Amino acid sequence: MERKGFLKSLLFGAVAAPTVLTACDKSSTGIIPTEGTPGTTGSVTNPGTSSTACAVAPTETAGPFPTKSPASFVRSDITDGRTGYKMTAKITIGNTNNGCAPLAGAIVDIWHCDATGNYSEYGGTGMQSTNYQSVHFLRGRQVTDANGLVTFTTIFPGWYSGRATHIHVHIYNDNGTSLKVTQIAFPEGESSAVALVNGYSKGMSGYTTNARDNVFGNDGGVNQIATVSGNTTDGFELTIQMNVSA
Amino acid sequence: MQVSTITLCYRKIVDATSTKPWDQLVFEDSYQEFRMQAQLYNPDKKYRTFGELLQHSPGAEQLHFLVSAAVIGYLQQLHETIPDIVNNLGKHFLKFNRYRFEIINSDVLDKTRHQVAINFFSEPLVWHDSIGDYLLVSDNTETEGEVLTHLFKIQPYLSIYSLTN
Repeated sequence: MERKGFLKSLLFGAVAAPTVLTACDKSSTGIIPTEGTPGTTGSVTNPGTSSTACAVAPTETAGPFPTKSPASFVRSDITDGRTGYKMTAKITIGNTNNGCAPLAGAIVDIWHCDATGNYSEYGGTGMQSTNYQSVHFLRGRQVTDANGLVTFTTIFPGWYSGRATHIHVHIYNDNGTSLKVTQIAFPEGESSAVALVNGYSKGMSGYTTNARDNVFGNDGGVNQIATVSGNTTDGFELTIQMNVSA
Repeated sequence: MQVSTITLCYRKIVDATSTKPWDQLVFEDSYQEFRMQAQLYNPDKKYRTFGELLQHSPGAEQLHFLVSAAVIGYLQQLHETIPDIVNNLGKHFLKFNRYRFEIINSDVLDKTRHQVAINFFSEPLVWHDSIGDYLLVSDNTETEGEVLTHLFKIQPYLSIYSLTN
């Protein structure tokens, strides 16, 4: 088959299916649809890919042997090459069912935006490809120690339109059941860290204060404001205690 | 003869019927991560399937990205080699460093309905010719002398992703 003709047959699946697939595919049905089925309750209909293709089977020395690997969120330094003022975040989790005593073994996820106000996420839709290096920047997961403490190394978050500076927090118990989804607010005003960082290159024009923030606004974030010390040379340290019912 | 540069996409499906050790680790860990992350979009526990979350819960499409963190470690263990697809000598030959993870279906109460796909995008290949269902390609950009090639079969879930003339 000429190259052009072959390409054409690849591009027009319905026409091409017989020439490409029938020779070996026992069922002659080609590829079974594997798309999400919103809201339905069917069961798995696709048996996987290993048995359907009529091609030479792998004939190589066995390996590499996979080993159990934690999610890429699990790390203390979540910077992933993002530039900004260094910040150490120390979050202590307390248990309201035990006089707010430290809760050991809780899983704590945090995520926040970079200096320019962007989160790590999949851009666009559909089949856009992603390089797997550092794709989950500024997202981390740690388990609390005996003192209920987790520590992350990151950068001071930037800000984006409509929101005060914040860090998202999701706290789970040790088996992964959600206990609380919340956010950490930052002190603001003269000589605060937010003022010192001054929105990085963005400045503070158009900044949303805690009082005007649609998440913190009901109480000005008073129950969620962290203590933030340090400076732009040595970096900042954020500390906060968050209590959950566990 | 005019030659083209192509990249391939292999969409690897992983579900409860997968038997290879790597696939099973991806299945288990992506399901666990799905159950954790889905709670973000399901505070009242009203929904149980991924399809319901997508339909009713704003932002739930981020679950593809969030759950992908569970498989990054396993992708790294592949050492940039696309699994399953072999050339006609029976050897793995496709290299990748780009991918896209997707959740096809899932259910927070029924693990057997969890099904994900990892789309592997190959490094560029020079396409020299087609022989029946087989493509003759090389990794080489040398224009003179002997060029070492791969012959492989177009098969289900393997497609040409991009083409450069």
